[in-house]
Amino acid sequence: ADKISLIPQDFFAELCEQIIQHLNHKIPGINTAELCQRIQTSGIEINAGDLAKIANIFSFLFSTAARNNLSTEELVITLGNAVSTLPKHALQVIRHVWNEQGKSISVSEDARNRASVGQFVDMKWKLGVAMSSDTCRSLRFPYVAVTLSVADPSGQVTDKSFEMSIPQFKNFFRQFKEMAAVLETV
Amino acid sequence: VFSPLAAPRQAPSKEALRQLCRECFSSQPGDLGPLTLRLCPGLAAGPEEAEKLGAALHSLTRHVVYRGFTRAEDILALFPENFHQNLKNLLTKIILENISAWRNEAQASQISLPRLVDMDWRVDIKTSSDSISKIAVPTCLLQLQIQEDVALCGNSPVVSALTVELSKETLDTMLEGLGRIRDQLSAVANK
Repeated sequence: ADKISLIPQDFFAELCEQIIQHLNHKIPGINTAELCQRIQTSGIEINAGDLAKIANIFSFLFSTAARNNLSTEELVITLGNAVSTLPKHALQVIRHVWNEQGKSISVSEDARNRASVGQFVDMKWKLGVAMSSDTCRSLRFPYVAVTLSVADPSGQVTDKSFEMSIPQFKNFFRQFKEMAAVLETV
Repeated sequence: VFSPLAAPRQAPSKEALRQLCRECFSSQPGDLGPLTLRLCPGLAAGPEEAEKLGAALHSLTRHVVYRGFTRAEDILALFPENFHQNLKNLLTKIILENISAWRNEAQASQISLPRLVDMDWRVDIKTSSDSISKIAVPTCLLQLQIQEDVALCGNSPVVSALTVELSKETLDTMLEGLGRIRDQLSAVANK
């Protein structure tokens, strides 16, 4: 709870917004890493792990409240003792967000949420040539570097980066085309 | 640095020397002495000389790969003047034979992002779940085996598995991105 008080009101509101949008399946995941970076840039010292935990807590809170059709007051009561430890501005945000959007959260989760594996969110890429290294002065080794953003079931988005040689990339591409072909026929 | 090699006590067999060169290229400085003693026992007088010899071979082979030499003349030029002629020629021959494999090894072990080692996939159709009784959603399950940076892991590579689910839409997004990479590759190749 003391970590929550570190987060400025507008960032906390943004976090809650993202959580609600994720619960509504409007966005595939909550980008805590990116939000954390912006909070840190504004001078606040908070680490991604803590922000992720906070996101999880409120995600659970909101989804439970949605499933039980809680009104704003009932939601605040659910918070119980925690209410006194939460900073006033956080409570204000929770009330506001729930008043505005609490009822709109669709309780029936569709098939996609049943997955126990991560959901693919985005892919970023880069094509590079390693020119030289401590082992080879003239390397000239082309490679493809890829960053996959994956949302875990709770909505946290994590990035995984890796490299491929060109032959590996060609195989990679071919496999995806095969996957798409199979998905078409199924 | 070459002096221990200049006058070998007992000429090692070609095969033993070949193996020694390979091992010296791939090994770390600390292991070179015992390695040399084990593979070519007659070559060095004792552990200290073996260490110097191993180190010399390690430096020589690594230098050739670093500079990218492909011609015998370039390699021969590295040896000192009074070096044992036959041994010099034999070593040069061995090095030339192994350059390409060593270059690949150097490329494979250079610092990099984690590398994709393997990928497996499966297409499923979700027919029902506890909240919805009848659906037919095709999805793709992809598992990527990613090996962490070799330079960091040394001899015990750490491989982690990343399992991702893709829908038709997200798969199309992925294909679009990959297509753009392919286009870029062709554009660069044609320059």
